[in-house]
Amino acid sequence: MHADSPAVQVEGLVKNYDQVEALRGIDLTIKTGEMFALLGPNGAGKTTLFSILATLRAPTAGRALVHGRDVTIERDAVRRDIGIVFQEPAIEQRLTVRDNLRLMGRLYGLKSGEVNARAEKLLGDLNLAEAADRPAEKLSGGQRRRVELARALVTDPRVLFLDEATLGLDVDARRSFWKHVRGLLNAGRSVVFATHYMEEAEVADRIALIAQGKIVALDTPRALKARLGGGIIRLQTVDDAQASAWLADKGYAPLPGGNGIMLEQNDPAGVVPVLLRDLPVKVVRVEVHEPSLEDVFLKLTGRGLVEEAGSGRNGGGDS
Amino acid sequence: MNGLLAIIFLDMKRFWLDRVRLFAGLLQPLLYLFVLGGGIGASSVQGGAFYRSFIFPGVVCLAMLFTATFAAIVIVFDRQVGFFKAVLVSPVSRTAIGVGKVISGAMQAMVQGLILLLFAPLAGVSLSFFSVLETVVAMALVAMTFSAIGVALASRFRSTTVFPIMTNAVLLPMFFLSGAMFPLDRAPAWMKKLAHLDPVAYGVDLMRQALLGQTSAFFPLWLDVLVLVAATCLLSWAAVRVFARGEETGLGATQFPWRR
Repeated sequence: MHADSPAVQVEGLVKNYDQVEALRGIDLTIKTGEMFALLGPNGAGKTTLFSILATLRAPTAGRALVHGRDVTIERDAVRRDIGIVFQEPAIEQRLTVRDNLRLMGRLYGLKSGEVNARAEKLLGDLNLAEAADRPAEKLSGGQRRRVELARALVTDPRVLFLDEATLGLDVDARRSFWKHVRGLLNAGRSVVFATHYMEEAEVADRIALIAQGKIVALDTPRALKARLGGGIIRLQTVDDAQASAWLADKGYAPLPGGNGIMLEQNDPAGVVPVLLRDLPVKVVRVEVHEPSLEDVFLKLTGRGLVEEAGSGRNGGGDS
Repeated sequence: MNGLLAIIFLDMKRFWLDRVRLFAGLLQPLLYLFVLGGGIGASSVQGGAFYRSFIFPGVVCLAMLFTATFAAIVIVFDRQVGFFKAVLVSPVSRTAIGVGKVISGAMQAMVQGLILLLFAPLAGVSLSFFSVLETVVAMALVAMTFSAIGVALASRFRSTTVFPIMTNAVLLPMFFLSGAMFPLDRAPAWMKKLAHLDPVAYGVDLMRQALLGQTSAFFPLWLDVLVLVAATCLLSWAAVRVFARGEETGLGATQFPWRR
């Protein structure tokens, strides 16, 4: 009966911690089979949203459905449908990889033959076969993250949540992790992942840009970037305030760009020489590039993606 | 049922990896039994041998109490890393998690207690087939209660550094008031009153009745059993309630139940 329901449906979701509004009214529909990214800085509310979707926290207001089932009412049904990789390690470090996977099967009440077969398949697919009988603590960082992925997948979830799943991995390990995720996506399975790396978000079918507990934009990566015309100029000067005032005066519409000034221009290559010649303050750095997701984010929020790094994991950017 | 077994199986597997703890766990009770027991016993009217056998059931309880509560620290540790979340997002019932934790802690305490039981002859406690049988049954009940104390406490802590400090602050008074080291019937009136509120006192009393016979009883046997069963149920229920909240802790709710 829930066959054609969306993988995730969120309506007016609000979550307050004592003083902090972590989520301030989230509306979201994620289609079945979709690869969906939540892109936003630390503290934007991504982890809180996942905690609610994964039945670990209750929303203050609004509701969330996974395949048509309410996460606060039909918890066990939702739990059976989802797999989640947390930011932090969630495998028992002293048990072997294989034992960790079997344990999950037992906790989900699955038949051991079924689980073992799936575990072996995953170990092979994720290049973990030779690590299978080693305690998890003896593995490399990249291997451990792949074990987390295997743990989340061994129960054959319909929706897979990945919360900053590649945190702390180097570029190579990150690339290999995503290669595996894509490889595992099969018909009917949906992936929802949170990240603050824009290049990770690019692989998604659609991206929700999230800041301070709200979705500020939701579209395909291409459409999001198309919101910025032409190219982007980033300027850093000895006095950004003065430079901004001058630019505004000349009709350039400067945007605050993290640390510096951002200009959206149809012909950046033509504009830069003029700026360098005419700007009354000394330019320290100038950069021209195609619009990126980070630029979109900057334009919409006036903040960078890593700017808020270091604020609490659960806190919703309350500054 | 599957989930319950999975929780117990997991904890017993980890206990096996930590089996060296069994030897470390013997040190403290044996110190109480032979050093403290020997010293105090030598200056008591009835003599050292009598005192040693008197405190033996209490010392077995001590070993079980500390093993059971230490076993519960794994809950706090699992929460500190993310492992407990992986358990909480699984469909295993929260009751199975709570009860499974209590049973696995009790099993670990039983193992420690049974090892200590081997020292009975050295402590001057003679064992018969029936007294051993009674003792094992008593131990199982007492271990469940002690484990429930540990799990109920552990469910509310997030820090593996704070938990042992708080646990000691709760356990030591409970142990001292239990009459493990001295006969409660000759204790001051205020102490007797407090002992009535101390589940450990009923555990020690039950163990003493099993090992030394009914003449050593302070509480009636039925009351021992009733209190231990009730305490086990109540404390397990309190732990299950916390597990049912998932990550939802709220201010103080996790650390201090009485604020809510």
